[in-house]
Amino acid sequence: MKMIKYPAYLAGMTTAIFFSTPLFAQSSMISNPAISGVLEGYYQEGERPLSETEKGFGLGHTELAMSANIDDYFFGKLTTVIEQHDGDIEVGLEEAFIQTLALPAGFSLRAGRFLSDIGYLNNQHTHSDSFVQRPLAYRAFVGGHYFDDGLRINYVAPTDIYWLLGVEAFTGKSLRSEAHVHEGEALPDYKTVGAMTAYSKWGGDIGLSSSWQFGLSYLRNEAGTQMIHEEHAEHEGHEEHEAEIHEAGHDEHSGHSHNAAYTGKNTYIADAVFKWAPEGNYKYQNLTLSAEYFLQQDLFALEHDGHIEQTLSEQNRAWYVSGVYQFLPQWSAGVRYGQADVWQAHGDHLHQQEFKETDVMLAWHHSHFSTVRLQYSYQQGNQYADITDDHIVTLQYVMTLGAHGAHQF
Amino acid sequence: MALAAMPAAAQLNVFSCEPEYAALVKELAPNAKVFSATTAYQDPHMIQARPSLIAKMRQADLVVCAGADLEIGWLPMLMMKSANAKVRSTEQGLFYAAMQVETLDKLDKVDASMGDVHALGNPHLHFDPQRLLQVAQALTVKLSQLDPEQQANYQAAFMDFSQRWQQAIDRWLTQAKPLQGRKVVGYHSSFRYLYNWLGIEQVADLEPKPGLPPSSSHLATLLAVVEQQAPTAIVLASYQDNRGANWLAERTGLPVVVLPMSVGGNEQSQDLFSLYDSVIALLLDSQS
Repeated sequence: MKMIKYPAYLAGMTTAIFFSTPLFAQSSMISNPAISGVLEGYYQEGERPLSETEKGFGLGHTELAMSANIDDYFFGKLTTVIEQHDGDIEVGLEEAFIQTLALPAGFSLRAGRFLSDIGYLNNQHTHSDSFVQRPLAYRAFVGGHYFDDGLRINYVAPTDIYWLLGVEAFTGKSLRSEAHVHEGEALPDYKTVGAMTAYSKWGGDIGLSSSWQFGLSYLRNEAGTQMIHEEHAEHEGHEEHEAEIHEAGHDEHSGHSHNAAYTGKNTYIADAVFKWAPEGNYKYQNLTLSAEYFLQQDLFALEHDGHIEQTLSEQNRAWYVSGVYQFLPQWSAGVRYGQADVWQAHGDHLHQQEFKETDVMLAWHHSHFSTVRLQYSYQQGNQYADITDDHIVTLQYVMTLGAHGAHQF
Repeated sequence: MALAAMPAAAQLNVFSCEPEYAALVKELAPNAKVFSATTAYQDPHMIQARPSLIAKMRQADLVVCAGADLEIGWLPMLMMKSANAKVRSTEQGLFYAAMQVETLDKLDKVDASMGDVHALGNPHLHFDPQRLLQVAQALTVKLSQLDPEQQANYQAAFMDFSQRWQQAIDRWLTQAKPLQGRKVVGYHSSFRYLYNWLGIEQVADLEPKPGLPPSSSHLATLLAVVEQQAPTAIVLASYQDNRGANWLAERTGLPVVVLPMSVGGNEQSQDLFSLYDSVIALLLDSQS
């Protein structure tokens, strides 16, 4: 080896540096518990179907969350949500989970209560949404967003194209179909693992400016099929029951619950997201296009003496497309169209309900932490949905305090 | 040099948050596979935790970032989603440049009303050549820890880099002498370390608060500051919008200078050396 003369200070350095250790053990961003709050409030003209928000002044998701690395093997997060409905304050536990940090080969495990990874929007917190309400599809099929107690295994493949595979098992309680239990009868014998999901996501970049993600998800809901007693199903009465139907429908939709309004044994979701920013610089301008399609099958079965005689072939469908453009650092505007074609059983017959929703919104973001949003929605429903043509305007603020977690794509 | 006789060992896969650290890794580990998550045209505060970055981090042996919370809006999400245990801890394959040096402008108390400030100090430290050399030294230790077989090569590469860097520092200081004592209008504290090193003073900021875009009311107040302080240029980084700067330039006659924020930020900036060359040349040009 050739001898090279180094300045004296370098000679000292070489011996010293290979034995020195970093001065600080951990960065602040992973060592301290991150505590964050979300304040959300609105004023709304009119009511939205399948919605959590009510007419007039109200509070949306008021959130208090805490998260941290528990140790070098586990991460934990707790999110409580405080909501008000009809004057009642409800405290809910939306997340309380642990996740592994050190499993090998791209695997991770999550246990506890958490948001399912199905679809595009489901695992995102509502305060990061670009519209006042989740799309109709989410409100109809998973109660806005599906969180439950269970277990998840995710695997990220070691490929340059992002590829995620995951499976989840849940109690499925909030997804159960309406059970027509008569007084004195026992509840149906529900399975311990009431819901299972499987999904795959792919994603990548197109040049420097564009990125995409595509996902396919399957949700199996063991208690998703609604039983229709055959003796009722035999006679096809119609108009005389209409008043009763409307009333039942109304109760279900205005009463606050995170339960799914429409259920089926098998739900399939396809989702696609495309984001663009000039040179990939998101600060000044960026565009997000997203779309999701839900197909729900095995909605109803004819039952006779506790046996399923026949599963009916009706299907529920819902989808939306959305485009949001941030045209200045502090301003964004968006358009969304969504539609739901769903079936509802009332006693002995099925009715097809149809909802359509067009949203236009304008939002002002003073900083990353504060948003004020004005949204106009045009809603349409057919005679069996509990809405007719309606115009709704909502003025909303969403603000976060404390540690602000990183956002998902 | 001994670098030519490198053994064919397993290639180290390095994920770098910013291009300056990708360039530094290339200096110290020329055989490594290096990926930069951002370019000099992207604001590193505002990066999407996008799928392609998750996929790259999934495969990384080492993640090198500025730290001091610069990447707090996206790096934690990438770490969580990439499920790569190797790069989760600074004891293993995670390396923060800001942890290796004393940062400027550390704050005892941070309040969100102050804007996007970092309690851990200013993270844009790659424009201080001495601090960058300290980072290079610590990074050499990290590379050797992760890939002990090549320790001698990393060490030799560092010695070589260090020698060339020291020579360049002397040259830059001589070149930049006319810049000493100059005043500029800036955008964010992007060049805090550069100004600190070369004795330049940023007398006004286009941002009303760190992270907030220039507002017309704030820009109007800068007219008086320009008159009082007599700065000689408005300086932007390659990823910053020029509308506010142009507005002020039209009314004050000051030149607008766009400096590459990192390697790749203009045609000249191909590595760390040419990045510094270009930045000093651009500043000197604007003063003549």
